[in-house]
Amino acid sequence: MMNKLTPKKFALTFILFLLTASVFAQKTVTGKVIDSGKRPASGATISVKGTTIATTSTTTGDFSIVVPKGRNTLIVSYVGFEDKQVDVSNATNVSVSMSETNSALNEIVVTGYTAQKKKEITGAVSVVNVKDMKSVPSGTAEQMLQGQAAGVTIIGSGSPGEASNVFVRGITSFGNSTPLVIVDGVQSAPGDLSIFRDLNASDLESVQVLKDGQAAIYGARGSAGVIIVTTKKGKGKASITYDGFYGVQTVKQGNVWNKLDPQGMADLYFLAAKNSGQVNGNGDVVSGQYGTGKNPVLPDFIKAGPNSGVSASNPATNLSFYNNDYSKGSIYLIVPANKAGTDWYHELFKSAPIQSHSVTATGGSDKSSYLFSLNYFDQQGNLLNTYLKRYSARLNTTFNVKNNIRFGENLSVFYKDNPKIGNNQEGNAVNNTAWEQPIIPVYDAGGGFGGTSGSELGNSSNPYANQMRAKDNKNYSWQITGNIFAEVDIAKHFTARSSFGGNLNNYYGFYHNYRSYENAENGASNGYGEYGGFNQNYNWTNTLSYSNIFKEDHSLKLMVGYEVLKVNGRQVGGSRVNYFSDDPNYLSLNTGSPTGQNNYSNYYLQTGNSVLAKIDYAYQDKYLIGLNGRRDGSSVFGPDNRYGNFWSASAGWVISQENFFKKNVNFINSLKVRGSYGILGSISNVSALNQYTLYGGGGGSSYYDLNGTSNTTVMGFYATNLGNTKTGWEKDKILDIGMDMSILKNKVDITIDWYKKAINGLLFQDQAPAVVGVGSQLPQVNIGDLQNKGIDLGITYRGKVNKDLSYTIGANIGTYKSLIVNIPGAAGFFEAAGTHNTGNQVRDAIGHPVGAFFGYKIAGIYQSLDDVAKSPKETDAAPGRFKYVDVNNDGKIDDQDRTFYGDPNPKFTAGINIGVSYKQFDFSTVIYGSFGNDVLNYTRYFQDFYPQFQNAKSIPLLTQSWLPTRTNTKYPIVENGSYFSTNGVLNDFYNEKGGYVRIKQLSVGYTISPAVLKKYGIDKARIYFQGANLFTITKYTGLDPEVAGSSVSFGVDYGNYPPSKTFNVGVSLTF
Amino acid sequence: MKKNNLKLLIPAGLSLLVFLYSCKKTYLEVPAAGALSQSVLANKIGVEALLVGAYSLLDGEGSNAGTGNGPWATSSSNWVYESVAGGDAHKGSDPGDQNLITPIEQWNATPANGYLDQIWQQRYDGVQRANEALRVLKLAKDVSTADVSRITAEARFLRGHYHFDLAKLFNNVPFIDESITYSAGNFLVGNTAAILPLIEADFAFAYANLPETMSSVGRANKWAAAAYLAKVYMFEKKYAEAKALFTLIIASGKTSLGVKYALLPKFGDVFNPAKKNSSEDVFTVQMTANDGTGAANANSGDALNFPYGGETGCCGFFQPSFTLANSFKVDANGLPLLDESYNTNPLKTDMGISADKPFTPDNTTPLDPRIDWTVGRRGVPFLDWGIMPGSIWVRNQAAAGPYEPLKHLFYKSQEGVYTDASSWTNGFTANNYHLIRYADVLLMAAEAEVNGGGSLSQALTYVNLVRSRAANPQGFVGPINNSGLVSPTNYQIGLYTSFPDAAYANKAIQFERKIELAMEGHRFSDLVRWGTAKAQLDAYAANENAQGYLSMSGVKFTTNKSEYLPIPQAQIDKSQKDGTSVLVQNKGY
Repeated sequence: MMNKLTPKKFALTFILFLLTASVFAQKTVTGKVIDSGKRPASGATISVKGTTIATTSTTTGDFSIVVPKGRNTLIVSYVGFEDKQVDVSNATNVSVSMSETNSALNEIVVTGYTAQKKKEITGAVSVVNVKDMKSVPSGTAEQMLQGQAAGVTIIGSGSPGEASNVFVRGITSFGNSTPLVIVDGVQSAPGDLSIFRDLNASDLESVQVLKDGQAAIYGARGSAGVIIVTTKKGKGKASITYDGFYGVQTVKQGNVWNKLDPQGMADLYFLAAKNSGQVNGNGDVVSGQYGTGKNPVLPDFIKAGPNSGVSASNPATNLSFYNNDYSKGSIYLIVPANKAGTDWYHELFKSAPIQSHSVTATGGSDKSSYLFSLNYFDQQGNLLNTYLKRYSARLNTTFNVKNNIRFGENLSVFYKDNPKIGNNQEGNAVNNTAWEQPIIPVYDAGGGFGGTSGSELGNSSNPYANQMRAKDNKNYSWQITGNIFAEVDIAKHFTARSSFGGNLNNYYGFYHNYRSYENAENGASNGYGEYGGFNQNYNWTNTLSYSNIFKEDHSLKLMVGYEVLKVNGRQVGGSRVNYFSDDPNYLSLNTGSPTGQNNYSNYYLQTGNSVLAKIDYAYQDKYLIGLNGRRDGSSVFGPDNRYGNFWSASAGWVISQENFFKKNVNFINSLKVRGSYGILGSISNVSALNQYTLYGGGGGSSYYDLNGTSNTTVMGFYATNLGNTKTGWEKDKILDIGMDMSILKNKVDITIDWYKKAINGLLFQDQAPAVVGVGSQLPQVNIGDLQNKGIDLGITYRGKVNKDLSYTIGANIGTYKSLIVNIPGAAGFFEAAGTHNTGNQVRDAIGHPVGAFFGYKIAGIYQSLDDVAKSPKETDAAPGRFKYVDVNNDGKIDDQDRTFYGDPNPKFTAGINIGVSYKQFDFSTVIYGSFGNDVLNYTRYFQDFYPQFQNAKSIPLLTQSWLPTRTNTKYPIVENGSYFSTNGVLNDFYNEKGGYVRIKQLSVGYTISPAVLKKYGIDKARIYFQGANLFTITKYTGLDPEVAGSSVSFGVDYGNYPPSKTFNVGVSLTF
Repeated sequence: MKKNNLKLLIPAGLSLLVFLYSCKKTYLEVPAAGALSQSVLANKIGVEALLVGAYSLLDGEGSNAGTGNGPWATSSSNWVYESVAGGDAHKGSDPGDQNLITPIEQWNATPANGYLDQIWQQRYDGVQRANEALRVLKLAKDVSTADVSRITAEARFLRGHYHFDLAKLFNNVPFIDESITYSAGNFLVGNTAAILPLIEADFAFAYANLPETMSSVGRANKWAAAAYLAKVYMFEKKYAEAKALFTLIIASGKTSLGVKYALLPKFGDVFNPAKKNSSEDVFTVQMTANDGTGAANANSGDALNFPYGGETGCCGFFQPSFTLANSFKVDANGLPLLDESYNTNPLKTDMGISADKPFTPDNTTPLDPRIDWTVGRRGVPFLDWGIMPGSIWVRNQAAAGPYEPLKHLFYKSQEGVYTDASSWTNGFTANNYHLIRYADVLLMAAEAEVNGGGSLSQALTYVNLVRSRAANPQGFVGPINNSGLVSPTNYQIGLYTSFPDAAYANKAIQFERKIELAMEGHRFSDLVRWGTAKAQLDAYAANENAQGYLSMSGVKFTTNKSEYLPIPQAQIDKSQKDGTSVLVQNKGY
């Protein structure tokens, strides 16, 4: 903005001049300043508004000041109290009563490229209480954020280092719905939270979440919300701080899966055979393991193959026959039955330590500041051979050169080793602890592993063996995140800033596949694979800001800028099989057999550039207006749609600044109403290849053995991608109306927002009929529409009983209702969360929430043939089996009677933070709850239905299943047959209430008085004891109700690594 | 540096950067990585590669399409839809394992059954790959006229095949030619027009334009197209046309490498991967193992169909039925029991006998020796894996019966050679699938002779050709193939001396197809085209239930419904035009 003198400006200036000149007298005003306790306020600053005239109050609070004629307002400021404006136009003596500052209102909040005081904000921003957040002992920042911000839903697990689902105001996409994260100006790659996940908790300075249209300043990245993180900067005198804790993560006790013991399993086998009429001519049940007869007999030895015996005296159990080495001939196993039952869960899940140690050195002057920190975080998982070990360092520095130039950098580096299981995936280690039968021992008689080899033992694999064999598998990564920036005040009111920041993540790992012998399903060979790659992204941001206050009342801030983005990565990997030895020292890619080798590589690149502008205007701090605009260009769209425009407008009215309000309303200290509307976008779900029709091929997808060689193929191609150049930007319209209020002498802060988030032209894969050749990747098109409506509420209460006892209570609640408005393709729905056993479990359909569970609803159990005859016609209907609801009332049960029976979206989530300090003691707790959501407990599909593999089953199958003599049951009749009317189709048997309330952490601390510490050279010391996940209140019957997943298939429990109850002791020292 | 200079430098620098930014529009033009554009492929080599891509889906997998329940749903042999639904075999395994197969087995699948959508997707992906070769061929400038003709013919052969597979299972399905593309938006094609004539046209074109010999054994040649065309005639009941063509094929047919069609001397060799691509292969789907793709080109559609227990592989699916085993019983002349009496006094089994209890297989009832190349039964040599040990190799005998499949199995000595070492089970093999083998041609020819104005004696000759090969004692299981193992002594097989009338001949031919081609993915559509499905399958269900396979309890074939699978609901839903689907659901659903 140039200061060009326009005629209008000239006129204004002239009039102003005349006004000033015409009144040339002055008067003296005296007065007294008192604080809220009516005590004299000594040292308060009294200034005449619009001038440089100022004075300070005396110890009695009195002052005297000369006020020029034409100036009628005094500004009184006093540390710790709100600034006060006093009208002295008709007074020469005033009494000024100060009220304590509401610190929250003056908190600096980063709202995208610029920072504002909270009281100036016109958008919906959740400002996280970082202290509360950091009190949660976790290896991932996502987990710490859970329950700390209204409207932010986080679903995690107990798996160390595992990514969590993070949804800001519900799911905003059928694909990736991950918010943008900005750490010290460095933007995350689309859909990736990794720059946030591994932050050292001690380094966190502030975390805020932009939730509404104002995130339009991030344009095509802002739709799913923006989490803005700043890390600590150095300040004050040089100091060194140590923060650390050590703890034990305990394991849920008891029969966690409610499994039958070996005798129960044998009884169940006989019950199923009898119920199914599968008996021989004598009416005897025939079993390979439990003998032939009326009742089962537990064997001494498991029949683990054709050669193995069943009784201890059987010569087949002679150990000289034993062989578990494929290279030495046929496998011969001798497996003693564990008649007492193996507790597989507790063979794998054990108490495990967790520890974190941080050292931070910090200091600063008006010329420079520094912060250097080191952290070691080590969380051993409860599950055998899973852990997160992370070493990280950070260096943040700033330098002030002259008065107008500042530069600095933020840099963090970490290295981690993080072997994980495939969490919440069918057949993972957690699942197998449920599946593996208790009669199977961990080890067999020959020192090998016990397993399902043999009849009637199911198809699971020995989870202990799997995890032990995985112990040499490694999954390393290291990452550098940071930026360098320079800021110059190039002219009065003008500041130019340039920041170059990025993230570089490197990973590598290797894994062994052992050729198991103990299981019913064993691999074809051993194998070994390695992989490595990198992901990097950078953003270069240049802004020019202007900030000025005109004529005292008009505050104007302008910012323009542009930004360049690049995201790319590359990976390579390979594997070989048939290794001569499983010795980890022998295994490398080149020592395996070239026959059956496999290798791959790929890379991706995406670029973007943007121009952006922002205007914030305030009149008398009463009327606030904010405008954001951004034009984004992205390489993922075709030339026709390469650029998209995004904008938002917001306004706020600080009612409490109005005179009528001040005069009439006492109990409200501040009140602001605000509203915003914005159009944002998302490109997380569109690939850089989307615009192109492409051809390619791969050995597996299009090569073919034309020559009949049996082991080589001829190169072939196919259309891999069908492009769509017309695909354009998703437009997400967010309307937000909110209110910020402080009441009861600023003790209570309330923030409430109502919003409607309409995502139009949602990018989602086109759902064309299969005749187009859906083996080619169909493009993402703008068809789907989603809509979320909800309310976010945050309340903080600060209380002070006396000088020793004070407390704060913070609560936040986010509610939302998700609705699918449109879906690509003619069908109006698509299905997800498919398993090969049940088909799809989730249907996303117009008029329903995202991720809804779909299938048959159980009306009850058929009690008799008469009942069957009187009910709608149902395939396989028989007494003891499920009677489904005839949804369309056509007298028969078919596909058309499937319906929506569950909704994984919580009605609301809530977090409560309580802090109490009494003298040197402090107490705090974080409570998190999710209410009204359903969980599809798919683990029960295997455990609660007899024919669903012969794995371990749950106790109610034996004790509470339907029988002609036991009719009042929830469990159907146990049969060795699969039926439409039992487990043949997906029904709501697995649907459970998934709401829960959890104490995320509870701690008691003690701060040692500085006098005691002084002789040890310690400035501050605090020790604390803490419990995490102390208890969880839920009706959910699975291991844990917190079940993550993808945007369209969350809340389906395939085998979720549960969080553990943890007890920590920690210390914080400052030198 | 002076402060003033700096003040100027920074805005100047910024302006410069903005300028550079605006200039560099190409910054946003990121080329596609790891992929080719159509123009790169619009030449002979490119089109040939697209054609290979179309061949590559013959193995039933490798496409992104139709992967939901695993490759078994799209197996090239159609074992679920043809052999299980046709009564050759039970689903097998535990009842709840892959239980989407159960309603198909019971001829009562619902339109939402995921298997149906999956095979629909995979086969149409094959159609479009063939079409893509045709489309790009039109853009290529360097292809000779002869090559244009051959490539077009091969592509149309493949397109015919993929359509035919769907037409057999779903009856009328949309015919998708090369003009139908996603980008043209003309893909809402209905299924009311008769499909077989269009398929016939593709094979007729292929037959007219393909050379006799081809550069590689896996390609369709003139004779493969002739045989497939004749097979389509059989489904159209154009027996006279079929007869004429079969006569020609039998007289002059050659494999793609120029070897005259002939039956292999030993029945078992047909299924031995070491003997693949012989004179008996008319058109065969090529499978590979250890090709560096992680078993992606193996016979993965059959990967579940191995005994459960022991070392042959995994999962215990596709267990031969009681009825099938009984069907190998023969009369004193070694001829099949055409009076359908084979289920009375069924063949002795080890059903309900634990593996550690003694059992001796039936060694008195005369049996067609092909039984032991088709049905793995306790007490009999199981390739070179030793004697089949009974229920210890069966996943859930009480629920799924005592038998194990054999025809697609590899030999123990072939492990690691014809099995892929890199996958989760040994069952990913290089065993080919015979889409059309010469015995199939002979039996179809016999049928065409009987019904297409030919001679009963010629039909007799064809059938006896097939039977005499089966009667070769060198080809029996046991001593020859498996050293040290003894073959059952009650094998008996004789030739037909005459076909007294057409009805008898048809019966004999149909029975011969049942036992010669058992477990090979032909049975259900054979029954439907003969019109005998209701009678055969109801009797089958009753017998299986009686012998202890309770899954078939009370199951009945519904005429005018069960002949075809329902059109997948998902495809009906996705094919709506102005609120109505262009796809019409099949009768009865």
